[in-house]
Amino acid sequence: MVENNLLSIIIFAPLAGALINWLIGGRLKNEMFSGLVACGSIAISTIVAFYLAFVAGGGALFNQKPTLDHIWTWINVAGFRADFALGMDPLSGIYACFITFVGLLIHIFATGYMHGDKGFYRFFAYLNLFMFSMLTLVLADNYLLMFVGWEGVGLCSYLLIGYYVKKNEAREAAKKAFVMNRIGDWGVLMGIFLVFTLTGSISFFDKTVDGVEVQSVFTYVLANMQAEPFTWGAIIAGGLTSIGVLLFIGATGKSAQIPLLTWLPDAMAGPTPVSALIHAATMVTAGVYLVVRSNAIYQLSPTAMWIIAVIGAATAIFAATIAIAQNDIKKVLAYSTVSQLGFMFLAAGVGAFVVAIFHVMTHAFFKALLFLGSGSVIHGMHHEQDMRRMGNLKKYMPITFITMVMGWLAIAGIPIWAGFFSKDEILYKTFAADKYFQNGYFPGNEILWAVAVVTAILTAIYMTRMMVMTFWGEERFHEVLPGEEHHGHDAHADAYTDDDEDEHHHALPPDFKPHESPWVMTVPLIILAFLSTVGGLVGIPYAMSSLPVVSSIVGKEANHFEHVLDPVVAEVQTPAAEKARENAKAHSPEAISTERWLALLSIVLAAVGIAIGWFGFRSNPLRKMPKILEDKWRLDELYNGYIVDPLTRLSTNTLWKGFDLGFIDGIVNGIGSFVSELGGIARNIQGGFVRSYAAFIIGGAILVLGYFVYYGYKLIG
Amino acid sequence: MDFVSENLLTLLILLPVVGAVGLIAHQMFWKQEEHLKWVTLAITVVVFLLSLLLLGEGGTKAGGFSFVKNVPWIEAINTNYHVGVDGLSLWLVILTTFIMPIAIISTWHAVEKRPLAFYAFLLLLQSAMIGVFVSLDLLVFYLFFEASLVPMFFLIGIWGGANRIYAAVKFFIFTAVGSLLMLVAIIALYFMHQQATGVGTFDFVTLLGSIESGTLAFSASTGLLLFIAFALAFSIKVPLFPFHTWLPDAHTEAPTAGSVILAAVLLKMGTYGLMRFNFPLFPEAARELAPIFIILAIIGIIYGALVAMVQPDVKRLVAYSSVAHMGFVILGMFSFTEWGMQGALYQMLNHGISTGALFLLVGFIYERRHTREISEFGGLANVMPLYATFFVITAMSSIGLPFLNGFVGEFMIMIGMWKSSILAVTATANWNYIATMAAGTGVIFAAVYLLWMIQRVFFGKVTNEKNRGLVDLSPREIGLMIPLLFLMVFMGVYPRPFLDRSRDAVVAIQERVVKQAGGTVEVVETFEKE
Repeated sequence: MVENNLLSIIIFAPLAGALINWLIGGRLKNEMFSGLVACGSIAISTIVAFYLAFVAGGGALFNQKPTLDHIWTWINVAGFRADFALGMDPLSGIYACFITFVGLLIHIFATGYMHGDKGFYRFFAYLNLFMFSMLTLVLADNYLLMFVGWEGVGLCSYLLIGYYVKKNEAREAAKKAFVMNRIGDWGVLMGIFLVFTLTGSISFFDKTVDGVEVQSVFTYVLANMQAEPFTWGAIIAGGLTSIGVLLFIGATGKSAQIPLLTWLPDAMAGPTPVSALIHAATMVTAGVYLVVRSNAIYQLSPTAMWIIAVIGAATAIFAATIAIAQNDIKKVLAYSTVSQLGFMFLAAGVGAFVVAIFHVMTHAFFKALLFLGSGSVIHGMHHEQDMRRMGNLKKYMPITFITMVMGWLAIAGIPIWAGFFSKDEILYKTFAADKYFQNGYFPGNEILWAVAVVTAILTAIYMTRMMVMTFWGEERFHEVLPGEEHHGHDAHADAYTDDDEDEHHHALPPDFKPHESPWVMTVPLIILAFLSTVGGLVGIPYAMSSLPVVSSIVGKEANHFEHVLDPVVAEVQTPAAEKARENAKAHSPEAISTERWLALLSIVLAAVGIAIGWFGFRSNPLRKMPKILEDKWRLDELYNGYIVDPLTRLSTNTLWKGFDLGFIDGIVNGIGSFVSELGGIARNIQGGFVRSYAAFIIGGAILVLGYFVYYGYKLIG
Repeated sequence: MDFVSENLLTLLILLPVVGAVGLIAHQMFWKQEEHLKWVTLAITVVVFLLSLLLLGEGGTKAGGFSFVKNVPWIEAINTNYHVGVDGLSLWLVILTTFIMPIAIISTWHAVEKRPLAFYAFLLLLQSAMIGVFVSLDLLVFYLFFEASLVPMFFLIGIWGGANRIYAAVKFFIFTAVGSLLMLVAIIALYFMHQQATGVGTFDFVTLLGSIESGTLAFSASTGLLLFIAFALAFSIKVPLFPFHTWLPDAHTEAPTAGSVILAAVLLKMGTYGLMRFNFPLFPEAARELAPIFIILAIIGIIYGALVAMVQPDVKRLVAYSSVAHMGFVILGMFSFTEWGMQGALYQMLNHGISTGALFLLVGFIYERRHTREISEFGGLANVMPLYATFFVITAMSSIGLPFLNGFVGEFMIMIGMWKSSILAVTATANWNYIATMAAGTGVIFAAVYLLWMIQRVFFGKVTNEKNRGLVDLSPREIGLMIPLLFLMVFMGVYPRPFLDRSRDAVVAIQERVVKQAGGTVEVVETFEKE
């Protein structure tokens, strides 16, 4: 156990930044001050996080033992112990590093993007508070503190989505996000109860606090628990599988998976840096973190893993089909995020935990890039978000254009760009799940693989469509859209500031020319573009690094990422799991050749997807897309019609007006008027109110006397 | 100083009464109405400061009471003025004394008619409430319990809203009917003790001793009847579903100070009574009837939340949310685990602070607009940003966001229920998981009804012209909220000082309930693993 008190600086620096901005920044109303405080505090976190991850004591990423920091004991009642304590192991180290780093870039970007906004200080206070919560989530050393961060990011997400308080869709979206997350939180909370019940601990790490030995959940599970059967019954048996399913319910909420996915696209009503930070790069990957963190539990519950893989694949393809038909640039990216998160869960579900985290990281780079790029576009277009009114922007915004091309190639899966390695490995691990799955046989993995491949093609298509509509073709800045008399009102998310009484975003002036964004916005884009290009090289799979050409450059063993995460993935002692580990280490010639052929296939498919997108939309960017896809499969209508409305009607008519006012009060009022009648003798003595009061006292006295006599008689006699 | 600490509880009870008399005398001689609130405030602040002295020893004596005063009162029926605090009552007394100054400042400018009576009733109410929490003689307890009814009845009936008479009478009927049966049970206990030992007594400690030693024993059915007689009074007070319908009316019609006190303290008298008297006196009956209370609590949690969701009136919404929150308290108590019972006690305090704060906030806006209809508002965050901020923080505390107070209580209650064995039918068919999962949905609904209300009241554009000129919180109102907000955060982040003090008393009750287990309930384990 390594103690290092610096760990708490990572989370408390942003908290201090939030408080300073809230208390002092609100009075100063100085953008320079607020921006410096916000970015400065994140910079401190970033430096400390990287120092602890790579340098201090050999670097938390390379140690077998986590770096711990006990701050205080939060709850300690009857054997239930929840510390406010942090821990950094390779998993939380990787998360902390990319969260702080990407977060810092987004904060810098936001100082440019939010320039001139009345609530500038408030925005950065929320953003810093979010960083505090997110870092608490990943650095927490136990489930309950993780849940604190988990709820905290939900709150900040709520505040930031609803940042433009005057917009109806923003406040609606904010509430929806919080409630849907809460449904998931219910699962996490119940999961934590069950974890505690089964293992007597909620700690992630073995540690000693105040002289008391605390055993981690996972140590207990590995030492004392058996793999559960692969049956539906295991879900409700109250064992590890139940934990797995409950925690995954939470993950579906936070990471927008089926069925709790509809909040994320709506969350795009918030400012674009928020979309980049919270709803693409960091918060939404918390679900993946939770699953990978609990991998010791999942490896022993194949049913839960199978459910995760299936939901992940289903969400991936479902969201991709919607993304292909959206016209709002941020909506495309939002559905793309949902789809990519599906990929991550697919990876986790087939037991490829490391690959899931690898994809989390590369996705953080390229999706943050794409969102910030879209923010730059929106900024340059005076808050126009509808791609139908864009076109040929490469002429006006060259830096944004080039950087977004990098993001596009990364997400489409073109070799050497970051997304290629991670996505390709997910596809391979799914295809070969029978070999690597810790429980041996994985039913239906070929189908999941096929779904993932189709999704990969769709990804290339919708991203190409987005790029083509935005950067190529005609300039359509004054396009009149079908069904709209003048410029659309609902598509301009970021246009309003606090004092903006006019919700109508006026049409762009006739001589409108888009402009490139200032350097505070383009520099983060360039850095992220660089990472999206080379960031995947830390995890080149063996099958590729062993190719003669590649190995001459990077060496045969180039998958540094996998080895870094080795201590996180529990070594389950079941025969099937041991076999899976052997297979992973063996690098058999057949496996390598399969993986290479599959990689070739996915390169071809990515190219095909790009080609379809290019030729399908280059000449006709406004091609009509199927209505059902544009309407997002009408999922919102389904939820409202079958859940929200009936529940509201039940509450109003049956419960409140029927039971409370009708039944219970009916009885009471009936008794009341009966007593009043009895008291009618006193009618001409007193007013009505005192009369019924007196009548009641008399009635009550009679009642009490009766009981008294009855009982007294019975007891004494 | 010795005199003070020896008679501390008596001082706490008497000071407000003396103050009320002083107010009347003051009014007779000086006729200065604007002095009244200052005098009242001064008295309540002094009482609050005095009550802090309880922290010296209160709750530190394992299994016993501190600051005990036991003097004969009516010797003919062997009634003693017997008071004392332990870990169970300590925080509730302090909550009472803490909330009173806040309640008085909250109506600083709002009392127009008959201020003398208003403040006198508030002070009398305070005496009665403190009396309830410290009485250790059943008859004295009963008198305080009933005495608290009268001032509140008039507070609602005279200074209430449009429908105040109906609400006041309803409040009185519900609560008084319930407590009459309790009186019967108290008298029955007196005679049973007389029959068993030759000496009748109302003294709680003596009765408890006799029951524990087996001197006083009653049949299972008598135990059940007595339990029900007590529990009915307390359940109506809590209020437990389906006795809750007086609450929305009383809350909605009461003046702000009344609502705050009602939510913060009066409801706690019910849950306190259950824990103080029902559980130790009738442990078998408590165990036997626990499933019924748990089911009613869960119904209350979900029902209260669903009905709160569709209320058109903000205050009524908060009132229904109380039904849900108090359901959690009942649930935790009847889990008979240390987690659940400690959580229940903690949740009583949390509910007092959060819901009290919510009623204050509703009062602020009512004073400005004289309406509480949600549809009348919209976009208030634009004109009253600070008010909106405070409201959101308080709502988050009520929702149970971690690191705010509500979470700690709800979490402990749920983990207590989860680990409880009270619903175990057999070793394998244990319904406690299902019960916790059902209660847990209340956490979701709480977010729905509060955030939906916030969305309609605060966000969006100002649609109603009447709201455009609203002024944000005054320094007085900010000053009222700051201590409450501070406690919300402090109690969420560092609950241990509170829980450590209450632990011994709560565990003593818990062990008492589970000790005489007839095979179905084993002593609930603390998880020990080597």
